Amino acid sequence: MIFDVSVQGRTVKAEVKATTADSYTVVIDGRPHVVDFRETGRDFASLLLDGRSFEAGLERREDGFVVHLPADNIAVVLQEAARGSAAAHKKASGPSRVTAPMPGKVVRLLVEAGQEVAAGAGLLVMEAMKMENELRAPRAGRVQSVAAREGLAVETGALLVVIE
Amino acid sequence: MNLKKILIANRGEIAVRVIRACRELGIPSVAVYSEADRLALHVRRADEAYEIGPAPSRESYLRMDRILDVAKRCGADAIHPGYGFLSENAAFARACEEAGITFIGPRAETIQAMGEKTSARRIAVEAGVPVVPGTLHPVASDEEIRREASRIGFPLMLKAAAGGGGKGLRLVPHADDLATAVDRARSEAKSAFGDDSVYLEKAVLKPRHIEIQVMADAHGNAIHLYERECTIQRRHQKVIEESPSPFLTPELRERMGSLAVALVKKVGYVNAGTLEFLVDKDREPYFLEMNTRLQVEHPVTEMVTNLDLVKLQIRVAQGERLPITQEDVRQTGHAIECRVYAEDPERGFLPSPGRIAALRVPGGPGVRDDSGVYEGYDVPIHYDPMISKLVAWGRTREDAIGRMRRAVSEYKVLGIQTTLPFFERVMRHPDFLAGDFDTSFVDVAFRRHEVVREAPWEVAVAAAAIQAFRDRKARRGALSQSAGAAPVSGWRVRGWREGAGGRL
Repeated sequence: MIFDVSVQGRTVKAEVKATTADSYTVVIDGRPHVVDFRETGRDFASLLLDGRSFEAGLERREDGFVVHLPADNIAVVLQEAARGSAAAHKKASGPSRVTAPMPGKVVRLLVEAGQEVAAGAGLLVMEAMKMENELRAPRAGRVQSVAAREGLAVETGALLVVIE
Repeated sequence: MNLKKILIANRGEIAVRVIRACRELGIPSVAVYSEADRLALHVRRADEAYEIGPAPSRESYLRMDRILDVAKRCGADAIHPGYGFLSENAAFARACEEAGITFIGPRAETIQAMGEKTSARRIAVEAGVPVVPGTLHPVASDEEIRREASRIGFPLMLKAAAGGGGKGLRLVPHADDLATAVDRARSEAKSAFGDDSVYLEKAVLKPRHIEIQVMADAHGNAIHLYERECTIQRRHQKVIEESPSPFLTPELRERMGSLAVALVKKVGYVNAGTLEFLVDKDREPYFLEMNTRLQVEHPVTEMVTNLDLVKLQIRVAQGERLPITQEDVRQTGHAIECRVYAEDPERGFLPSPGRIAALRVPGGPGVRDDSGVYEGYDVPIHYDPMISKLVAWGRTREDAIGRMRRAVSEYKVLGIQTTLPFFERVMRHPDFLAGDFDTSFVDVAFRRHEVVREAPWEVAVAAAAIQAFRDRKARRGALSQSAGAAPVSGWRVRGWREGAGGRL
């Protein structure tokens, strides 16, 4: 099974071949590694990679894993290569959607629809975990719409303001 | 007088910490909790637990009437307030006194005198303790704030008079930033302490934040338990503390200890308390404020003095004399604490609440983890995002740092972001290793001087690719079997066979 992988700004190919139930050969960009992989608990595995021992936490994400190693948490995005590498590139232009970076409460709105804002201008104030954080405009433009309302509790990713 | 039952008017790790002390002393403990906290660890650990209202702290952990009502109904004769919430609320201490319930902390009048920050500054001046220049009274009107601000000059610090823990606190670099800062500080202070008055202080540049732990009994005995270095902060909130401070000379340490004891004796202080100082680059100390309660970072002091501060608090509240004198207090070895927050250090320390999918906690020599969470726990959005305090002790600062680095590498929290990766980097940072940092460390020096090490990304790729491979095989196996027998995991088959073999 071959994966297209992106990790820490790199794009590599990784091929996984099972040799026995727990033993694998993983070829990363042409370099083979012998890996003994055993689950050691929910979301954890012990890896012996070319004889080096690693305890890894494997946190599942929609597009891959965050791998917790002793000193690093590394996000690994992967996709099976056979399925076509249709890594859809997002459109760079168009309106900017400002979404909630965390669950919390909208405390104050600082802008209204139609208003011109400079890049970095405060849009609204959110409260989460007892701290107030000001969300700022990612770029200059006109406020197209304000979906947030004062006092509203929002989840991560909730649309708050659109700037065009 | 021996206390019969202690109610803990708090939540999270500090409530668990107090429950542990109660259990060691054989005193039954009572937890209180909000609707959001039924499954919090303190509820599970206490002997008794009672709900006191909806999730927002204003309607639960700050409701004195409900907490006192629970105390009366369950027969608790003492209340430990922890830190935050009602711990520095003189009205609450007074209400306890009036209800005949022992408040495990100083007397209400002392909290009032020392807890209101400007009054503490006035008392310090009277006791001959140097303070940061600024207002000696809370300022109310915007007009007065503007006038005082231009008198003191910029940059200045705007602080909630009732404040603590970095809430309601703003650095104001220029006059233009004043109005927004006042707004924000007031609103935060109102929601955190129910009091929106503020005061102003000149900002001390490149300061060290060093505090002295004190302990006093009701018989006029007061001692200090040396210092804690709390300079490493983000958003004016401490993230790493240590003792001893690598910055203090023996002379300055003795001087600050004596100043602290003098101030404590002047106000007839009882119980545990902390005097916070700013020390400027010329090693001049300025008294900042007193926290009339247990501190988050008290374990650092416990590790180097070999004392249990919570048990001492309870003994003093029972009217006992301090079991030790100043001469008995020794600062042995070095301790470091890292506050593990549910925050994303890669995104400006944004809160990262949510479910802890998996958890592994470090152990071994010299390591202590004061946690308020567990695997499967949902870190709620309503409260402070600190989930645990990781403490390492070593014979020297170098030993302690080595242990902390090792403990951080063992600590695994999956499902939410935490500050652990940040600590891993700090424990390798040349400025931190050299003990050379000021309060701007997190924002400035950290990035500038960090030695970047390449992460073992190919190990991560191998782990992720194998896991994805196994997931896909399992899914295909499940699909091909779904027409016939239900899929059976290898583990279950083996377990069943061994079980059967043993019986037959």
